[in-house]
Amino acid sequence: MSEEKLYSLRNPWFSISVGITVAIAVLSAVAGLIWFPLLQPNLKLSGIWDAICSAAGVPGLSTQAGAVPPAFKTSNVVMTPEMLTRQDQVSIGRGATLAQRCAICHGPQGVSDANSPNLAGQYAAVTYKELNDFKTGARVNVVMTPFAANMTDQEMRDVALYYAYLPRVPSSLVNPNLTPPAIVVTGAPMRNIPPCGSCHGEIDVKAGSPWLGGQSAVYIKAQLQAFASGARRNDISEQMRNVARQMTAEEIDQVARYYEAQP
Amino acid sequence: MTSETDHSHGPHGLGEAVAARIERRWAALSIVIVGVLVCMAAFIGIHQATMPQGRVETADPTTLHLSGEFVESNLGSALEADGSVTVRAIGQQYSFTPQCLVVPADTPITIRATSADVVHGLLIEGTNINTMLVPGYVSDLPIRFKSPGEHVMPCQEFCGIGHQGMWGKVQVVDQTAFRNMAASKRRLTCVD
Ligand SMILES: [Cu+2]
Repeated sequence: MSEEKLYSLRNPWFSISVGITVAIAVLSAVAGLIWFPLLQPNLKLSGIWDAICSAAGVPGLSTQAGAVPPAFKTSNVVMTPEMLTRQDQVSIGRGATLAQRCAICHGPQGVSDANSPNLAGQYAAVTYKELNDFKTGARVNVVMTPFAANMTDQEMRDVALYYAYLPRVPSSLVNPNLTPPAIVVTGAPMRNIPPCGSCHGEIDVKAGSPWLGGQSAVYIKAQLQAFASGARRNDISEQMRNVARQMTAEEIDQVARYYEAQP
Repeated sequence: MTSETDHSHGPHGLGEAVAARIERRWAALSIVIVGVLVCMAAFIGIHQATMPQGRVETADPTTLHLSGEFVESNLGSALEADGSVTVRAIGQQYSFTPQCLVVPADTPITIRATSADVVHGLLIEGTNINTMLVPGYVSDLPIRFKSPGEHVMPCQEFCGIGHQGMWGKVQVVDQTAFRNMAASKRRLTCVD
């Protein structure tokens, strides 16, 4: 009896158990890869191979036709967290020369009292994105649009890197003792408003969100109102409009006055 | 003889029989309980669970706004030729766009969503919609709302320091109201 070979097809126990296992494997493969996928009409499978590939998880590009095109110009900048984060001395030098024409409004040191944004120490990706949006028309401003219209991509990068390199200069309105309003510290979670600092740099940075400290209150207020009303729409996929729409007029005021007094 | 009979059918033998009977009953009861649980799991699994997605579709999270089905103007609810509704949305730090989804009641609906940055979650309260939005991949979910009403749609996957403020709304309206809205606009939302 012990002379009998265990792993042999002549052993009926062996052949039957192997046969059953193989049958289960084949049946499950047919059911899982072909039969069940074909039972689902919403998958719109074109045949057996398509069924097998989709069930096995072969990735395909999303190909939904008939997208409604935008009725207005949207930003075409591809933002990544790594964008323009490396210092480049040559680029900064070229930027310094180019930036002379910006000084009338933005100040020779990137800081001004003209209610135009202070650019000194601003994230390079932010300055670059806004210049790009002015150039493509995604953001419109009578003064800025003609300046940006003639800039090349490299020039915009140079200017952005130059301003990022300049040190932030605290404005005359800095008041570090000001208590931050609740909308800045905690946001309003019930209204889909996260704390400002979770994107704008005090806690975390979301690529493309500007540093707000020291910006003019008039400017911050005007931009928040423009986002809320939809007059400004160059924030990618409504990321800022979603927030500004939910803010009250009083909260917009508080935020503007608070950030103006920050370094 | 009497004493022998007494010995074999005495209190000891009787106890054994009782114990065996009770044991059988308990065994039967537990088999019934296991059976009920298995049937319950099978029923819920087949009737209510979200099935795993049949297709893997990709979409570049950094260029969603440039082209394809997730451009800003194509987000929201679209009435399809066959009467069903496709809802497209994206999750990003820290909001859903559109912030408010509007859908008809008692209509087959397909939700297609993806993330523009990190992993977010999509959960519609009161339904079995509960999935992750993974950057690079499209989540595609079928659903049908029984009656009009409002559902909250929080992000249920920690996505960063502003996560607790990230949520949207789903407004279910009746079919005629939805059709009237769809007559004048190709993509519908309930963002005010
Ligand atoms: Cu999230």
